[in-house]
Amino acid sequence: MTLHRPESLDEALSLLGGGAVVLAGGTDVYPGLRDGPPPSRMVDLTRVAGLRGISLRDGLWRIGAATTWTDVLRAELPACFAGLKGAAREVGSVQIQNTGTVAGNICNASPAADGVPALMALDAQVEVAGPEGPRRVALEQFIRGPRNVDLRPSEIVSAVLVPEATGQGAFRKLGARKYLVISIAMVAAVVEVSGNAISRARVSVGSCSPVAVRLRGLEEALTGATVAEVPGIVAGADLPGLTPIDDVRASAAYRREAVRTLIARTITDAMEVRDVT
Amino acid sequence: MSPSISLTINGEARAVALDDPRVTLLDLLRERLDLPGTKKGCDRGQCGACTVLVDGRRVNSCLTLAATLDGAEITTIEGLALGEELHPVQAAFIENDAFQCGYCTPGQIMSAVGLISEGSAGDDPERIREGMSGNICRCAAYHGITIAVQEATRNMIRTDKEDAA
Repeated sequence: MTLHRPESLDEALSLLGGGAVVLAGGTDVYPGLRDGPPPSRMVDLTRVAGLRGISLRDGLWRIGAATTWTDVLRAELPACFAGLKGAAREVGSVQIQNTGTVAGNICNASPAADGVPALMALDAQVEVAGPEGPRRVALEQFIRGPRNVDLRPSEIVSAVLVPEATGQGAFRKLGARKYLVISIAMVAAVVEVSGNAISRARVSVGSCSPVAVRLRGLEEALTGATVAEVPGIVAGADLPGLTPIDDVRASAAYRREAVRTLIARTITDAMEVRDVT
Repeated sequence: MSPSISLTINGEARAVALDDPRVTLLDLLRERLDLPGTKKGCDRGQCGACTVLVDGRRVNSCLTLAATLDGAEITTIEGLALGEELHPVQAAFIENDAFQCGYCTPGQIMSAVGLISEGSAGDDPERIREGMSGNICRCAAYHGITIAVQEATRNMIRTDKEDAA
């Protein structure tokens, strides 16, 4: 096995294919390495120029593929990103946040990926670089199933893109302990409030389906709701997108019940928080 | 191919030839560089026993390929004390019985040094517990650990102020 550390995107692309494994922070890649035969080569993206950092251009926030969770936490971002920052604080531990990347979390495509619901609630898109030039795909389409993403062997994710938006974000994760834990369920929301009622809500749930999902029916039902009305609307909502399973962390029945409380609390968090630090 | 890397480990420049590019920083430190103070617990990023500082940031050395660290500065538990003088975090761990069996302690101490330099927790016990949550202690010395980190934080701020004055 050889390890390559390219310094440009073109150089990185030229090294792909033939079983090459792409890595950035490596926090998901390395544990897997010990369990099987080594890949023919690995391509480390952390030295590629321009791939790390968060910037705003033409109404689009760009989170470069080598941007770590700690970078997200330290960035000055508008209130709609509060859910993504909340997720950043709960990805693994600080040691993991210091190396693990947002793009890696997406590409690993775990049903329990902490970053995915928060990014879905932000209508994130994925920018893919490949031999035919860049293309963009909505995050909801990019992740096709557990460990399955819309990425050819000749391509890499170069950035995650988030359209500028108003509103307040929030994130809640339910686990067996507070930190360093794989989620039983998690919810991210971005809520815009007009007067004292919701004018637009975006809600996404993770760990309760093979891929995190947006709850569009619920989002519509929440339009016009006040804080006091939210729990009732969530309790009575039909949530066909959620298909939780029994696993070592929780039963499907527990998830089905707990997630409604988590959804209501996350939405009210987003309605009540006005100042985010 | 056997890549060669240059590292600064606890202030000392080292050139290391890697016979296997898959070797982790943890295995390199323990097996090749005679620095066994960094402990191997879970070997998959879940326990924090292997925490070291890379360019000042705390990371799990079990999840770090040595080959990706060319030019980096590494600090391990062996590099904290100045001769016989303990680092303030080491002293506070002893003062507050912040361990029992001691296996997780090097990782706890390196993580605390990282946390204090990040400066986001101050001496708030809840923020310290959050910031230290990547380091598991199976003897459950968490209470003492939190107090030790609080005390070390205060001592280091005081020393910084005295140095500045």
